Amino acid sequence: MFPQFGATADTLSKASTMVFRIGTDAHLYDDPEDVNISLLLDSKFDSEKCEALKRLLALIAQGFDVSNFFPQVVKNVASQSLEVKKLVYLYLLHYAEKRPNEALLSINSFQKDLGDPNPLVRALALRAMAGIRLHVISPIVLVAVGKCARDPSVYVRKCAANALPKLYDLHLEENTTTIEEIVGILLNDNSPGVVGAAAAAFASVCPNNLSLIERNYRRLCETLPDVEDWGQIVLIGVLLRYVIARHGLAKESIMLSSCATVSYRSENDGSENDGSDTNFELKENGKDKGCDVYESELPEIVSRSYLEGPENYLSRSSHADKGSFGLDFSCFTSAKSNYDVKILLQCTSPLLWSHNSAVVLAAAGFHWIMAPKEDVKRIVKPLLFVLRSSNASKYVVLCNIQVFAKVMPYVFSPYYEDFFICSSDSYQIKALKLEILSSIATDSSILVIFQEFQDYVRDPDRRFAADTVAAIGLCVRRLPKVSDMCLGWLLALTRQESLNSDIGSVGGEDGVLVQALISIKAIINLDPPCHEKVIVQLVRSLELIKVPAARAMIFWMVGEYNSIGGIIPLMLPTVLKYLAWCFTSEALEAKLQILNTAVKVLLCSKGEDMWTFRRILSYVLELAICDLSYDVRDRARVLKKLLSPLIVSHDLEVEAKGLPENKDLKIVVADLFFRGQSKPCPEPINYRFYLPGSLSHIVLHAAPGYEPLPYPCSLSIDELGHDFNDVQGIEALREGPTGSDSYGVDGSDTVSGSLDGENTSDYSSEYSITGSGGSGGEESGSVSESDDNADPLINFSDVSNACANQNGGSQDNNAPSRIDDFEELMSKKSLDSWLDEHPSQSSSELTHIQRSSARISLGHIGGRVKLKSHKLLDPVIGNGLSVDYTFSSEISSVSPLLVCVEVSFTNCSTEPMSKLLLVDEESSKGIDSAEAALATSESPLTSDKDVPILVPLEDINSLDASQTIRRILQVRFHHHLLPLKLVLWCNGKKHPVKLRPDIGFFVKPLPMDIEMFTSKESQLPGMFEYTRSCTFTDHIGELKNEQCDSSLIKDKFLVICESLALKMLSNANLFLVSVDMPVAANLDDASGLRLRFSSEILSNSIPCLITATVEGKCSEPLTLSVKVNCEETVFGLNLLNRIVNFLAEPILTTL
Amino acid sequence: MIDNGFPLTTEPNILRQMIASPNIVSKMLSVATGNSSNVSNTLPDATASCVPWRITDLKHTNNEVYVDLVEEMDAIINSDGALVKCEINGEVQVNSHLSGLPDLTLSFANPSILNDVRFHPCVRFRPWESHQILSFVPPDGQFKLMSYRSNVIHLQGQKVEEYSDICKATANLRFWDMPYQCFADLTSNHGAVNILANKTCSWSIGRIPKDKAPSMSGTLALETDLERLNVFPTFQVGFRIMGVALSALQIDKLDLRNLPNRPYKGFRALTQAGEFEVRS
Repeated sequence: MFPQFGATADTLSKASTMVFRIGTDAHLYDDPEDVNISLLLDSKFDSEKCEALKRLLALIAQGFDVSNFFPQVVKNVASQSLEVKKLVYLYLLHYAEKRPNEALLSINSFQKDLGDPNPLVRALALRAMAGIRLHVISPIVLVAVGKCARDPSVYVRKCAANALPKLYDLHLEENTTTIEEIVGILLNDNSPGVVGAAAAAFASVCPNNLSLIERNYRRLCETLPDVEDWGQIVLIGVLLRYVIARHGLAKESIMLSSCATVSYRSENDGSENDGSDTNFELKENGKDKGCDVYESELPEIVSRSYLEGPENYLSRSSHADKGSFGLDFSCFTSAKSNYDVKILLQCTSPLLWSHNSAVVLAAAGFHWIMAPKEDVKRIVKPLLFVLRSSNASKYVVLCNIQVFAKVMPYVFSPYYEDFFICSSDSYQIKALKLEILSSIATDSSILVIFQEFQDYVRDPDRRFAADTVAAIGLCVRRLPKVSDMCLGWLLALTRQESLNSDIGSVGGEDGVLVQALISIKAIINLDPPCHEKVIVQLVRSLELIKVPAARAMIFWMVGEYNSIGGIIPLMLPTVLKYLAWCFTSEALEAKLQILNTAVKVLLCSKGEDMWTFRRILSYVLELAICDLSYDVRDRARVLKKLLSPLIVSHDLEVEAKGLPENKDLKIVVADLFFRGQSKPCPEPINYRFYLPGSLSHIVLHAAPGYEPLPYPCSLSIDELGHDFNDVQGIEALREGPTGSDSYGVDGSDTVSGSLDGENTSDYSSEYSITGSGGSGGEESGSVSESDDNADPLINFSDVSNACANQNGGSQDNNAPSRIDDFEELMSKKSLDSWLDEHPSQSSSELTHIQRSSARISLGHIGGRVKLKSHKLLDPVIGNGLSVDYTFSSEISSVSPLLVCVEVSFTNCSTEPMSKLLLVDEESSKGIDSAEAALATSESPLTSDKDVPILVPLEDINSLDASQTIRRILQVRFHHHLLPLKLVLWCNGKKHPVKLRPDIGFFVKPLPMDIEMFTSKESQLPGMFEYTRSCTFTDHIGELKNEQCDSSLIKDKFLVICESLALKMLSNANLFLVSVDMPVAANLDDASGLRLRFSSEILSNSIPCLITATVEGKCSEPLTLSVKVNCEETVFGLNLLNRIVNFLAEPILTTL
Repeated sequence: MIDNGFPLTTEPNILRQMIASPNIVSKMLSVATGNSSNVSNTLPDATASCVPWRITDLKHTNNEVYVDLVEEMDAIINSDGALVKCEINGEVQVNSHLSGLPDLTLSFANPSILNDVRFHPCVRFRPWESHQILSFVPPDGQFKLMSYRSNVIHLQGQKVEEYSDICKATANLRFWDMPYQCFADLTSNHGAVNILANKTCSWSIGRIPKDKAPSMSGTLALETDLERLNVFPTFQVGFRIMGVALSALQIDKLDLRNLPNRPYKGFRALTQAGEFEVRS
């Protein structure tokens, strides 16, 4: 109309947008990359950094990958500006999982922030740190959370509670107890805000550890009204679970009252008694009983669904008897006398006034389950009030009300007006409201509701109108008194012109008509003799009704009720003739019903009509046999065969009359088919009930995380004290078998052979460095040349090995090269004792003095190195096949990415096994036979990229009973912490197994001397240095043994060194560089003892230096501080964790 | 503020302190200084206080508190012209600008007409349970103190006239979902009738006349090929009456304690249509 004005408006709106954008960051989104971001990131002004970070976030939001800025961004984590920090954290959280190594660089800064005086900074650091989902840092985060859980600031404690589910999500099984302890601490908090968050953590971390609630129950109840809305919802759920587990269901509650509907019934009965027709009333009471059984069962079904989960309950009840509740009555408590229940009911009732709909619903759900049933009505009004909110929440509330109204219709029945439908309601809401209305209608309210329904049928939404008609049918079934009125109205509806007009089929009028007939059918079914006239009227309107489904239904009614009353039998011949006449023009379903009806009529007919009916039936059958639809043809043939005596033989009638007991079998069968259906079978209960307010209840299947209520009284007082012990007991049990298994293998004869060989090689490899000082390059060269040999280490150290095998010879070898300016410190005696004890092994003790410490080297230790064996396949699972694996110290000859694992297959069964093959999961999918696997393995793979996950070991064709075969497996782990999934084929069967990596064997010994070590160490300071402490106890047992065995007196220091070095070398593939001893020390003080190890990472040859320093007294547990220097931060941290773990582990085996 | 899918901070007061909402002054400042930070560097005190909805040390030069009753009338009039359902949903909205930590007590003259109530978290439950008194420490600014529901409607025809001086009404009629209606001819005896393109008719009555009851009548024509309707549309009616609370809920008094000086107290009422529909 006014294009100029339109243009102006456009400009105006643009201008106003510009004005609104002033002072915001919106412009950053237009073209985030129009400046040099990396330059800004390195700027020394916080505002420029901010802008750069905002631009990066804008890019992330637009879907660009900007992870290449990671190092530059992470550098800014140490910024003092809170805004920069926040932005960096946002960026970090987005990319941390993708770039774990760089993400670790920020950890130090987080640690520093955790000590910041500003609680906002502490909370922010904790949230960001917990949000970085890396296994590596989880121990650090756990410690941080533990610290923050005791923080003076409420806000920080709340963040700590929120961090717990994040930690738990990482599946840190070993830390579960610690996490649960922290939950306990937070639940005990004084601030309501923290309690709410702690409840949420509890619900997601350990929802079944209800002993934590036991301690704080009363206090939790009292703080409930002060907790934040969202916390309240979770807390109510937690407390409900606790109360049920501790005290059981309340015996006055609706859950346990199968007599819940009785009071309602008695009301009804009272009104029914006024009825004059006694016969009618009798019948009605009979009906009522059927109804009663159904309704009184409902609370029980609901409560059991709540306790067991509907899937469980329904599947069980379908084939088992429903009577066995399984709960004895001692499990019940009383809501009136039990203080715990009473206090919670008291504390939740004001929450029904909450302005948060979800809180109202949660509180109502609690009252629904636990409150005495006379008090349940207090939830009704709040629930109805919540209905006045958004469409979505309206739907949720209605879903819950629907169940409540089904179980206790009488508490909702006075409020029927609230369920009247507004035109603005969505269809789903309308349908729910209709269902609720039809289940709460009473004799007094049905008239108003019926009036309302009549309005709904005129609604433009025809689907809704059809539903309304169905709801009328439901109402009448519950309240048979109004059947006459409703039937009259429904009949009028079916005769409405519009429903039968041609336009009707477009607008869904069919549905309304069919639904009307279904309702009529259901109502007639209640009491057929009374509604005879209705059937007559329907038949009369057949001319008018054109919808096939509706016609079919009328035909069915004619057949079904053909002998009822006085009018129908009279009109039957005419009706049947009409049916036969219009048979050809009917639709499929109507044709089938005509056939049925004709047969039914014939079977019930008497006297002279029979002949007519027989004629009609045979006529219809003739027509049907030639029908186009095979369904109709088949039905006709079956009927013809079945009824042949009736149709064909004319004198059968006499026979049948005279001797009813001799009736033809076929007729009996037909009788069974077509009669005896008139009994209404009770409707099966197929509702699924989930806990009120749960997501599962809305979607009607168990949503992830849905748990039914705990078993009543499953938490007893005795249990509470022992709960923690139980957990530990289970853990011990879990560890037990694996531990003993590895023992068994260690002790078995198989170990002695091969392990000894390895040990020698270990030892000699150490030795070769000190002795011959051979360069690394040469060695690796020799390794690659000696492919044919199974043990490359032996190869390259052949010379020194030969020397070493002569006892003491090695000492001579070493002495000249190293001893120059060092003094021998060790006493002659102890040296002798060494030699005495292990005469077969070479030993050398060179003690060096440097400043105030002495240096020794423990060459002999190699012989005692005991590699730990792990279980790959348990004989129980593997049909008697037991597979163990040990990380070997060999180096793969194929690729540096491969780790050597020695796998030993043992047949524990009595029968031989064949075709043993171990392949990785992916390749196993493609490989059908073992041959194919072998074929692939033969092709040499050399380049790094093509390195297979598994270099397959040669096929073991057969394994006799109790035979053991060992193979060296070369594996490429995807990750140094995550297990590798493999598939073990045996006897053609597939066993999935998991190979857990041991980071200690992802390194190989890097021979070096002490000078090199110190110089390397000085090159890897600060960020590349990680320290952790642990307690070491192995030596104590050993020292005790020494004391008992008085003939041998060993130096305590030596024992410590020895046991420490042994432990290190047994668990990781390291090279022992040196052992430093304190010189001026007290005899019993081991402080200052220092062991140095060196290694390099297999995959990238980055050196990894380890220093273990001892502190404490010899005869007591020692504190070890272990330091790792490594450029590869993640690897170094993980290695450190692993070392600390195995050092702290108590000794498993003594030689 | 959501942390790991669980609400960490939802209290508007705290959020407002943590992140300043943009306004003209801050925009001008940011343009002038180039520093666009509106993120607070300190943790709001309210996180640790027992009244997290209130800033602890507030200062206003003129203390004032306004209480508004805003009521919505839900009604269904069926095809026979009978009132099927009628109820009032109301809210007590408070706008408070008070210094310090005031303690307010609001009582109603006729609390018994309240069928159902829901409260802002600041309302203490105990006084309500025992005496039906609202006792609370208000948040700063506009907030919804409570919402209520009432089935009692005292207002009859003559009362409208009583209020008619102050009452201004507009009615909106929406022909809901009517594929059939194409033409409408509506006239009223008072005020102006406008038929809008989106099947809405707006009737502004203005000041209700004393001598006659305003009414609107007219005919709706159907599309040409339709003779009769077999489905019937529902008319949605909207209206607004200033100065009247239809439930006749009356505020008895508002006591303020713990205040340095006498504040100004104000009261208003407003009724509007909620889901008010007339079935044809």
